[in-house]
Amino acid sequence: MFVSDEDLMMKCRKGDIGAFELLVRRYQNPLINYIHRFINDYHRAEDLSQETFLRVFKSASRYKPTASFKSWLYTIATNLCRNEIRNRSRRNTCFLEELVEEGEDVYHTEIMQDTRYLPDVLLEKKEQRQIIRKTLAQLPDNQRVALTLVTYQDLRYEEVAEILGCSVGAVKALIHRARQKMKKLLIKAGIGEEKVDEKI
Amino acid sequence: MRKYKQTEFPKAHNLKCEPNLANPDELSAYIDKELPTWKRHLVRQHLKKCPICASHLQRLIHTDNFLRHAGDVEASDDFLTGVMARVSEVAQHQRQQESLWTRICQVIEISLGWMPNLSALMGKLRYNIRTRSPVYISILTFAVFTMVGVTLYQPSGDKFGEELRELNSEKVISLEVIQHERPKRLLTTYLHRK
Ligand SMILES: [Zn+2]
Repeated sequence: MFVSDEDLMMKCRKGDIGAFELLVRRYQNPLINYIHRFINDYHRAEDLSQETFLRVFKSASRYKPTASFKSWLYTIATNLCRNEIRNRSRRNTCFLEELVEEGEDVYHTEIMQDTRYLPDVLLEKKEQRQIIRKTLAQLPDNQRVALTLVTYQDLRYEEVAEILGCSVGAVKALIHRARQKMKKLLIKAGIGEEKVDEKI
Repeated sequence: MRKYKQTEFPKAHNLKCEPNLANPDELSAYIDKELPTWKRHLVRQHLKKCPICASHLQRLIHTDNFLRHAGDVEASDDFLTGVMARVSEVAQHQRQQESLWTRICQVIEISLGWMPNLSALMGKLRYNIRTRSPVYISILTFAVFTMVGVTLYQPSGDKFGEELRELNSEKVISLEVIQHERPKRLLTTYLHRK
């Protein structure tokens, strides 16, 4: 039987740690991916995901079932990511450069375990991932958040609006601008156009 | 590749779509199925007629698909245990704090328990005042008058201080006047008299 996030959160409010564990199991991968795409550092992404879950647990008593759990979780995560990036820019580290050198392959289990992938295909995939992450990092903050939440976290515009504290119309514009910019950046990076040419 | 793009597409990009699609943002919302049915229908109708928007939509869909195949990372094996260990620590801490709070609440409850007794005591006192003795009434009246008197006639520190300072400065001025003026006046009267 499927128990909704909100029901699990209400159980957690009453002190049921098992219910909270279920929530962590449900969201650990999506959350780490979201944060990873935001800050481009896998180990920090794990730390910040842990911090997000802890904050959720600590403020469980204040949780109201009227608010969507997903929006609440990603709001906390987004704030933590923004702080992280702010701190980094203060320390003058360029995370765009960092991400290229990061040893990320170990964690891409989904691709690594599949024997169909030949080494050159894998290399191409890795390059693609790096280019995507690089281009995503070039988007303005709100556009990146909105596009990442819609594309990878499957959030509705309404939920994104809740997280960003803006209207649904504003989210619509953000997403469109982000996609257009991504399209241009991907062409600039040398990928993303050929297949379109074939189609048209 | 870039040359190909430049020769094939710029014209299409520069053209304005006719009849105009009210809001270009709607193409992205169309991809994400975020449009109400009636609007979705309108966009679909427009796409049938407008090759520019249709091509634009194709590109957006392609970008979206490309992004979706970016590959995911997975949480490390000890992530869940790590989170739950810290959660248990927090839960234990919260329980300790809660027990402290319940103790404080108990103390408050006990002291609130005295309240009915206190009101009974006051009731008795009132009854004594009304029935038993006029002495009570005179004592009470005296106490009330004293309290009212004290509150009304007690000068506020600053105001009193200011008045005192003003008085003193007046005294100083008058003394100065007396000390400096008197000899002159005396001299003039002396000269007048002369
Ligand atoms: Zn059009």
